[in-house]
Amino acid sequence: MNPQFIMDGLIAGAIIGLGAVGVTLTYSILRFSNFAHGELLSWGAYLALAVAGALGFLSAGLTKPIAPFSFGWALPISAVIAIGLTGLLALAVDALLFSSFRRRGSAIIIMVMASFGASLALRSLLEFLFTSKPAYFTKALQIAMKLGGGLRATPDQLLMLGVALVAVVTVHLLMTRTDIGRAMRAVSENPALASIAGIDVRRVIRTVWFLGAALACVAGIMSGLLIQIRPYLGHDLLLPLFAAAILGGIGSVPGAMLAGLIIGLCEALAVQAVGAEWRAAVSFVILIAVLLVRPRGLFGKAS
Amino acid sequence: MTAPILSTHGLVAGYEPDLPIVRGIDFSVSSGELVVLLGPNGAGKSTFVKAIAGLVPIHAGTMMLNGRDITHVSPHRKVAEGLAFVPQTENVFATMTILENLQIAVAHLPKAKRGAAIEALFARFPDLAARPSRLAGALSGGQRQMLAVARALALDPPVIILDEPSAGLSPKIVSEVFDMLKAINAGGVTVLLVEQNVKAALAIASRAVILAEGRIAHEGLPEELASDPLVGKIYLGTAHGHQGAPA
Ligand SMILES: Nc1ncnc2c1ncn2[C@@H]1O[C@H](COP(=O)(O)OP(=O)(O)O)[C@@H](O)[C@H]1O
Ligand SMILES: [Mg+2]
Repeated sequence: MNPQFIMDGLIAGAIIGLGAVGVTLTYSILRFSNFAHGELLSWGAYLALAVAGALGFLSAGLTKPIAPFSFGWALPISAVIAIGLTGLLALAVDALLFSSFRRRGSAIIIMVMASFGASLALRSLLEFLFTSKPAYFTKALQIAMKLGGGLRATPDQLLMLGVALVAVVTVHLLMTRTDIGRAMRAVSENPALASIAGIDVRRVIRTVWFLGAALACVAGIMSGLLIQIRPYLGHDLLLPLFAAAILGGIGSVPGAMLAGLIIGLCEALAVQAVGAEWRAAVSFVILIAVLLVRPRGLFGKAS
Repeated sequence: MTAPILSTHGLVAGYEPDLPIVRGIDFSVSSGELVVLLGPNGAGKSTFVKAIAGLVPIHAGTMMLNGRDITHVSPHRKVAEGLAFVPQTENVFATMTILENLQIAVAHLPKAKRGAAIEALFARFPDLAARPSRLAGALSGGQRQMLAVARALALDPPVIILDEPSAGLSPKIVSEVFDMLKAINAGGVTVLLVEQNVKAALAIASRAVILAEGRIAHEGLPEELASDPLVGKIYLGTAHGHQGAPA
């Protein structure tokens, strides 16, 4: 068996993990499955593409690759801007859509349906703005380096794995060591108690949208850089994202990341062992198995 | 009597828009009082205090804290303005540690003052100080209640409202809780206490209010109520001054 599936799996898994951290945070605090979360990955990638394009237009030097990577300074700069813009997009969707349902105390199923609608609208808008033709951050080719043990990876791939690791550790520290992190966990456990403990619940909800969208943007850019950018980029990851959030245990940041890596590795293994057409089935099988055997996931709290 | 520190005027509140549970309550507490709120099960005591804290929608009427209208102030702002509330159940963050529960409580203070505030709470509740990294969900009923009260006292509030803090505790712990409430009140904090434990509550109260069907049915000094057999029988489920079965 070719050990390269490990590298493929880690990369797919890091993308899934970052998206799943967003899903697990929004689910645990907003208390509904946001099926529009995948669209935040796609929007993140396209927003970065658009900003990078604009930067390249202003100064061609910004597109000159920074050795050993395949992209120029335009990409990291646009990534930072796109993270902010994706966060604002999520806040706008919440303000226009979900917050009015929350105020009315609407049932969860209504929120879920609304998120389906938002997902469709956001995806169609992307196809309208950017067409459904795949796009790329860079056309430069990269030579994979030998890592030993039969593993190979491009500098881009290694960098992205590092970025994912830093992002998850940062979010984990934020959740466990800071006021806003404790406030998020408090709201996730008991919003009414949180409010009388002095926590501004609406501010926490805004923070969660922004944070989830920021991670989605990073995942989208990763996927765009290492694979390609398509309007369906995020939508096609929806099942793995939810499978990872549930496998990791709703509300657990390290759990979501670890579960994302597990799912990515299982997918890559399945592709090599039985064929690429089985990739999509992996998340489904894992999701059902977790729901049947251990519904609270690896790190979830017993309820 | 001093000016009221907390008052409601024609307060109507309930969970559904067309179903008032609190049906027009004019009520006030003066600074330094320990008022006990009694009444049969389902009278609306919890709904009333939750409405004051901002957890139940207000349909009509107003409420004032320290001369300021707080009717439509959000719950977390009320906390910052000095109104502390300890709900009857789920009053600590069970998935978080003792220390984290208190860190949340002092988050309104400037960073430099938080450590001292937590130390002061630990000095006051030594049981909690023993192992601050314990999960609140793993504490005994009495310790949980202590943590809930410590959380509420973190910002030195002028007013604290407690909803049946003695419910479900063993008799020994119940008397500790009442001693603690008495001490808190003696320290200058105005206390509004909802209780089923009529006798013990009347023993420490400076005034008693009886709620029935969402309205004030009776108000008076504790000793009057304790000795009024009619009041006991009708509103408190007690007779001859004996305590009724706690719900
Ligand atoms: N969360 C809730 N939603 C709807 N109705 C409630 C809720 N909590 C209590 N009630 C209703 O409000 C009424 C008063 O309850 P409550 O305020 O808990 O009374 P008490 O604390 O005096 O026993 C009861 O009829 C109860 O069924
Ligand atoms: Mg009650």
